[in-house]
Amino acid sequence: MRAYWKPACGGLLLGWICLCCLQIAAAQGREVDVAVVVHSDTPVSNLTLAEVRKVFLGERQYWSANLPVVLLIRAPVARERNVVLKTIYQMSESQFKQYWIAKIFRAEAASAPKVVYSNDMANELVTAIPGAIAFVDARDVRPETKVIRVDGRLPGEAGYALR
Amino acid sequence: MCSRLLPLFVFSLATSALFAQSTPPSPDHEPSVQSLLDRIQQLEKRISELESHERKEAAGQTVSSDSPVVSDSKPAQGSATPTQVPHPEHAASPTTVREAEVHYPSLQIRGFGDVDFSATDQKGSTSGFNLGQFVLHFASPLSEKVSYFAEVSFTAQPTGYDLNLERTIIRYDYNDYFKASFGKYHTPVSYWNTAFHHGAWLQTTISRPEMVKIGGTFIPIHFVGLQAEGNIPSGGLGLGYNLGLGNGRSSNFSKAGDSGDSNNNRAWVANLFARPARLYGLQFGGSYYHDKLTPQPGVNFDEWIASAHVVWTKQHPELLTEFANVHHRDLQTSQTFNTTAYYVQLAYRLAWQENKWKPYYRFEYIHRPNVEPVWDFPETPSTVDLVGSTVGVRYDITNYAAFKGEYRNSRHGVGEPRVNGAFFQTAFTF
Repeated sequence: MRAYWKPACGGLLLGWICLCCLQIAAAQGREVDVAVVVHSDTPVSNLTLAEVRKVFLGERQYWSANLPVVLLIRAPVARERNVVLKTIYQMSESQFKQYWIAKIFRAEAASAPKVVYSNDMANELVTAIPGAIAFVDARDVRPETKVIRVDGRLPGEAGYALR
Repeated sequence: MCSRLLPLFVFSLATSALFAQSTPPSPDHEPSVQSLLDRIQQLEKRISELESHERKEAAGQTVSSDSPVVSDSKPAQGSATPTQVPHPEHAASPTTVREAEVHYPSLQIRGFGDVDFSATDQKGSTSGFNLGQFVLHFASPLSEKVSYFAEVSFTAQPTGYDLNLERTIIRYDYNDYFKASFGKYHTPVSYWNTAFHHGAWLQTTISRPEMVKIGGTFIPIHFVGLQAEGNIPSGGLGLGYNLGLGNGRSSNFSKAGDSGDSNNNRAWVANLFARPARLYGLQFGGSYYHDKLTPQPGVNFDEWIASAHVVWTKQHPELLTEFANVHHRDLQTSQTFNTTAYYVQLAYRLAWQENKWKPYYRFEYIHRPNVEPVWDFPETPSTVDLVGSTVGVRYDITNYAAFKGEYRNSRHGVGEPRVNGAFFQTAFTF
């Protein structure tokens, strides 16, 4: 019996150590910043959090007279969407949907944000559509897109608001 | 050996528990959320693989054919082609190209409906069910800068349904500071009138406040003409404006002059509001409206309406409060008449049960002079004194349907008895 006890105990210990490592990794993973990216021709490089909010609320609809804002947002459950809802909109999923239905049918906006299903898709659309703006995981930012400073800070810098 | 490993095991267990505590709340849901996130990552990886596969195929097709694609559609919001990507490995996939295209016109239709039950102790009233307004909204961008919007309503009547064109607006956006439009609007002389429109699902309560009631006469609900609107460069103050010029009320004061003005005088409205950036959720502002009323040839009144609002639109809590004064002057006798009204509505979306419950309370008040020739024209008073309270709760069954129940206690008219009533509504959008 003792012969079986020792390897079982060791295996259990190894399992717990692995679990701890996974939890540490997961906890670190949750802290990854979310970058605000725009099409490279967009004439902005620094926005305050309030200005980002104004853009995503559809209150600012033009970067310049000939360049409309095109909003892109991840589909539900994605971490980037949760960060945006919590930090920018300060709304639940349900309130967010109601907000855009009301916004469109007050004739204040022509359409709701376009939904993207992956960071790759967000990057591609931001690259392809002049005036597009999206939130992507900072690790997935592509060099063709322009990363916006939020309150003067880039993702990864201390005090960055979107994480 | 086992006893030596035991402290390490206990330490590991404790560390694990500590890390578990440092993770975000909702421990009950953590395993399912984590598994969902894992699943999403797997799906994203799969999407990326499929997209790269599509890209390779598209690259092959591009090499074999260089003829341009003729289409009514264009890349969204710009003249650049959607495939202008510098790195071949990041070339836009056909999915992206499709997503980047915007077609004009691009009609979106949304409907609103509600079914109601009411029972009051008012003499002569009957309890029972009734269908609320059935409303259809149409929104269609016609180009990058031009869009069209319409709202129609079907209202149940004893003899059938009334079909009304509530709003029809064609708008040209120059930029954020200037947007010009023509058509029929909800007059921007009241916050409620421009925030909630005809879909009962959009508003917290079952009914609108009496001062902005559909079919009421206290303020002109509709306005036919032209309007300029936009933001005002004001930094964090977040100022915005609406300026309108139009027909104003028709000879029936509850209707707009859809088929033409009742006199040669145009109504105008100016509305200024602020949404301070530092106080996200707060909006306050005021409006001024002027018209000349001609209920019948030779009878004319000047009408001035001043209103103000303060609202906090976050739902923890939600506060809506408005005040308006309607000033009438008889142009023959120079007699003046002032009618004032206000409401205060407070609601709070409760945090439990996924934020589905939202209790609310509203107090509303209207006071008019005993003699007011405009409200009393021709014989039946169209605006009366009112003191009323409404208490109720909204339950959001889904993201697109809500159930509301409310109790109202109100007195319409001086010396009239108070009326108690219970009202229920299921309102939805589709």
